[in-house]
Amino acid sequence: MLYRSLTDCIAQTMDIYLCLKRPSWMVASKRMRTASNFQWLLSIFILLYLMNQVNSQKKEGPHDLKCVTNNLQVWDCSWKAPSGTSRGTNYEVCIENRSHSCYRLEKTNIKIPALSHGDYEIIINSLHDFGSSTSKFTLNEKNVSLIPDTPEILNLSADFSTSTLYLKWNDRGSVFPHHSNVIWEIKVLRKGSMELVKLVTHNTTLNGKDTLHHWSWASDMPLECAIHFVEIRCRIDSLHFSGRKEWSDWSPVKNISWTPDSQTKVFPQDKVILVGSDITFCCVSQEKVLSALIGHTNCPLIHLDGESVAIKIHNISVSASSGTNVVFTTEDNIFGTVVFAGYPPDTPQQLDCETHDLKEIICSWNPGRSTGLVGPRATIYTLYESFSGKYVRYKRDEAPTNESYQLFFQMLPNQQIYNFTLNAHNPLGQSESTILVNITEKVYPHTPTSFKVKDINSTAVTLSWHLPGNFAKINLLCQIEIKKSKSVQEQRNVTIKGVENSSYLVALDKLNPYTLYTLRIRCSTEAFWKWSKWSNKKQHLTTEAIPSKGPDTWREWSSDGKNLIIYWKPLPINEANGKILSYNVSCSSDEETQSLSEIPDPQHKAEIRLDKNDYIISVVAKNSVGSSPPSKIASMEIPNDDLEIEQVVGMGKGILLTWHYDPNMTCDYVIKWCNSSRLEPCLMDWRKVPSNSTETVIESDQFRPGVRYNFFLYGCRNQGYQLLRTIIGYVEELAPIVAPNFTVEDTSADSILVKWEDIPVEELRGFLRGYLFYFGKGERDTSKMRVLVSGHSDIKVKNITDMSQKTLRIADLQGKTSYHLVLRAYTDGGMGPEKSMYVVTKENSVGLIIAILIPVAVAVIVGVVTSILCYRKREWIKETFYPDIPNPENCKALQFQKSVCEGSNALKTLEMNPCTPNNVEVLETRSAFPKIEDTEIISPVAERPEDRSDAEPENHVVVSYCPPIIEEEIPNPAADEAGGAAQVIYIDVQSMYQPQAKPEEEQENNPVGGAGYKPQMHLPINSTVEDIAAEEDLDKTVGYRPQANVNTWNLVSPDSPRSIDSNSEIVSFGSPCSINSRQFLIPPKDEDSPKSNGGGWSFTNFFQNKSND
Amino acid sequence: MSRREGSLAPQADSSVSLLPHLEAKIRQTHSLAHLLTKYAEQLLQEYVQLQGDPFGLPGFSPPRLPVAGLSAPAPSHAGLPVHERLRLDAAALAALPPLLDAVRRRQAELNPRAPRLLRRLEDAARQARALGAAVEALLAALGAANRGPRAEPPAAAAAATSASAASGVFPAKVLGLRVCGLYREWLSRTEGDLGQLLPGGPA
Repeated sequence: MLYRSLTDCIAQTMDIYLCLKRPSWMVASKRMRTASNFQWLLSIFILLYLMNQVNSQKKEGPHDLKCVTNNLQVWDCSWKAPSGTSRGTNYEVCIENRSHSCYRLEKTNIKIPALSHGDYEIIINSLHDFGSSTSKFTLNEKNVSLIPDTPEILNLSADFSTSTLYLKWNDRGSVFPHHSNVIWEIKVLRKGSMELVKLVTHNTTLNGKDTLHHWSWASDMPLECAIHFVEIRCRIDSLHFSGRKEWSDWSPVKNISWTPDSQTKVFPQDKVILVGSDITFCCVSQEKVLSALIGHTNCPLIHLDGESVAIKIHNISVSASSGTNVVFTTEDNIFGTVVFAGYPPDTPQQLDCETHDLKEIICSWNPGRSTGLVGPRATIYTLYESFSGKYVRYKRDEAPTNESYQLFFQMLPNQQIYNFTLNAHNPLGQSESTILVNITEKVYPHTPTSFKVKDINSTAVTLSWHLPGNFAKINLLCQIEIKKSKSVQEQRNVTIKGVENSSYLVALDKLNPYTLYTLRIRCSTEAFWKWSKWSNKKQHLTTEAIPSKGPDTWREWSSDGKNLIIYWKPLPINEANGKILSYNVSCSSDEETQSLSEIPDPQHKAEIRLDKNDYIISVVAKNSVGSSPPSKIASMEIPNDDLEIEQVVGMGKGILLTWHYDPNMTCDYVIKWCNSSRLEPCLMDWRKVPSNSTETVIESDQFRPGVRYNFFLYGCRNQGYQLLRTIIGYVEELAPIVAPNFTVEDTSADSILVKWEDIPVEELRGFLRGYLFYFGKGERDTSKMRVLVSGHSDIKVKNITDMSQKTLRIADLQGKTSYHLVLRAYTDGGMGPEKSMYVVTKENSVGLIIAILIPVAVAVIVGVVTSILCYRKREWIKETFYPDIPNPENCKALQFQKSVCEGSNALKTLEMNPCTPNNVEVLETRSAFPKIEDTEIISPVAERPEDRSDAEPENHVVVSYCPPIIEEEIPNPAADEAGGAAQVIYIDVQSMYQPQAKPEEEQENNPVGGAGYKPQMHLPINSTVEDIAAEEDLDKTVGYRPQANVNTWNLVSPDSPRSIDSNSEIVSFGSPCSINSRQFLIPPKDEDSPKSNGGGWSFTNFFQNKSND
Repeated sequence: MSRREGSLAPQADSSVSLLPHLEAKIRQTHSLAHLLTKYAEQLLQEYVQLQGDPFGLPGFSPPRLPVAGLSAPAPSHAGLPVHERLRLDAAALAALPPLLDAVRRRQAELNPRAPRLLRRLEDAARQARALGAAVEALLAALGAANRGPRAEPPAAAAAATSASAASGVFPAKVLGLRVCGLYREWLSRTEGDLGQLLPGGPA
């Protein structure tokens, strides 16, 4: 409003300024600078004037008009008086837009009725002694503040048991003209220091009347623990007011405190809380609290006013039965409380109601999750029936979760429908389940008692029992279990009308006479809900009746054909209808009747001498009540010549027999059977089949697998029975249990004839399907024998399926060979055991002769051809393999001592006769002499270097043989000896051979005694003692000596001395006089072969002989 | 009387031989006290186990607050003549049953699924009553029976009733612990006092 006045003044001033400014546009430009300065001064003047005006107005008029309302009906406007006004100043307030109403007053505020929307001009004229001043204000509702009156708390109370504060106040709504929303702000402060613990807003509505409001707040800390303060303020949110809405002032504070007595207390006491929640405990104490425990866990202390402390527990776990202990410890005492953390009751599950007797309803349920609370805190169940308004209550300690709870509700007269609500509640909450039942459909009767059976006749009895309950208005459905001994039980349902006296009676018919029954009963209602439990069993034997049928009868003529043997079967219990005491048998023909009466029961056959007339045999069974109808059979047997024996195999338990329909058969077919191995009469059992049947399965407990049975099918005509078929069969075939007994009938060099015998029927155990015959080379006690039958590749198998064949000839065998024969029989049931035999075929003499003659003939031919060839080429062979060796004696260049060659007593001058020189070089390994480049023959010694150290460590002998060339001349033999080497050139060793050959004994006696020629080759293969001695002797010799150990030489040539030393393993050929023998050029034969001995024929001898020749 | 009391004094036990039937009675009562002492120990252990922590923890020892109607054995008890001690024993045993019953009732609410504890408490009340009666009978046989009216049992009953009606569960647990402890102490004390009557007992 103040700014509005100022704006008006400035606008007026600007108008004046513009009026003055307008003529200045007319003057010349030269004068413009002077005019401009003038205008500027004038503007300053005007501005100063205006400022003065404003200041004077400020100083003198009322200002700071402010309007508030607390009820939207009256505005309280106040302003500030101009400065310098005294107490006696009067004000005239005029509101322009409201029919020009003016108020005259002495104070600086005025209460005016609330103005409607829009701007209003407020003129306040202050009248005082030295003048007056006027201020104009524009007033709008938007400039008015709505500030409610300060609320007042009417009441603040507390429920210490629940730690809840209750606040009550009045909204004073009657002063407000309109419905308005009110926002209350409530502040809760705790402790003497007034710590804010809760600030909440609470919304209400003003409805034009004074209304009391309530607010409650549950403290997380027991209210006893500390003082609590509460204050309140409000703000009105009126839709009809567009001005500012401001909070009221806070109400005067109210507090709640607990007056502690002298004793220390712990709070809360024995509180029941939900598992998982938070809780605060405090100990209000006058003495210092040292520690706090929950269970066995220490908790930090929160200090409250004075010495009081608190602890806060978060997410508390379920308590034990006796609760969770919270203990505060002071210097000399302990204080505590117990908290019970549990769950509210679960919704009762599987609530169901039924009745046993229509007098009392039993409702049962499962409590669900355990609450964890017991004793006074346990769940209390209330079963409320809404139609009658009655209820029953149940309280007990918590049972295990899986245990069912039960409540009994007494039935009300004439009420069938019950609407039950089961309510469960405990300190933490409640839950409920409902069920609507028609109780007549939920009857679970008690167990029938006093169950009794009484005879009516042989096929009917009466049953009586007691069933507690009032079932007069409904029908009962009872089930009777009828069990015959060793048979399937039968159940019969009977519907009976319910009675009040609980006694029931029912007749049970269609029973069999003379039968032991086991009976029991149970009941339900027609609208079935549950069967009662079974009553006790009762055994009852019905009375006897006459046998319902005559015995099943058959007849056989005795083997001599004079007597007729009549057989009958004992009546089954359901036909005997009592204990059969005796039988009457009668045979009647047109001429006579014979009877046998009172045949006692265990006997089931009778023999009557009859002629061959046709008789009708009649058999009657009798019990204590009467006789059965007669059972009749004709004695006549109609012959049938066209019979063949057939074979059949059964199906494990029985045998299926089929036949063609024969209209001539007017009465039953009869199949009789017997064990085929039993003696006559053949009758094990029989069965009658209706005449319209064409097949039957014969089953009997007496049938055994592997047993052959004979079956006879008889057709029945008026005049008698005719044998239609004869069948042998097995219910099940098995493998034979014995092997066929077989023998060898004949044996030749290439074949064996085997014969076997039949297997007895009892041991065959099935129809013989064939034999398997295995044969193969084999000898007893060899592994091959054992695998003979198991598919050895050398084994041959013959499958003999011709049952009439009893022999088998096995051909194409080898002579003088052992054969393993196995025979086994088989049926469709499997292979039987095997029987084996070893047979040696005879020798094949022609073949042997041929086998001998052919190699001999071949050898002879080869020998002859070879001999011829050798004879014709003997010169060439001699030149090639056996050239002439020059005689050293004929060589004038050399002169040998007489001892070297016998027959020469003095050394002769070596004559240089023309001869064919041979060059034999013998070198020792120690020698540094150069080798002779020539054909080398390496001795066996040289090929076994490892033997050198043992046998001849000092010698490495190389024998060169080069007949045509002499490369070097022999130096002085003495020098050779000194050098440890010898080189000798032989001339015609062959000529020296004969004179040098000595008996072995002589060699041993004087091996190197002579100073003449000695063979230079020493073969150390046989390192015997004698050899070692000989070596020692050799070391002592001077001059030339043979280099070979004579003892090791084996002279195999028939014309040379032969050394046979048993200790010698290696036999050498050659001359004892010279190693330059031809035998070294020919590889030695196998010394182990007997043919290599001199006694037999040999290829070497062949040449030797030839050479000698 | 004083002479007869003097004959019961421990100092005179060795010189006076008791009648055989009286000796048998003392021995029997002593055996009963011995047996019940063991039972009381078991009762106390089971009670502690079922109250939850910190009951049973090693450092947990509530103050031995007085129990209305039942005094704790005084340290000067040993200095009293044996018949006087037995009178005090008998009085305490007579005061214990209502307290034990009150404890049992409270425990039936707290531990309804602890039938063994409840049975032990029930047995303890009955056995305390029986032992008290036996001690009184023994005192009568010895000519030292109480001559004045017995005021303690009714007082104990009233105290027990008020104790059982105590609002807090925790104080009730502590009270039960205290009662069980006193029960054990008085039985032990009775066993010791009866042992002094036995020939060859401690002087």
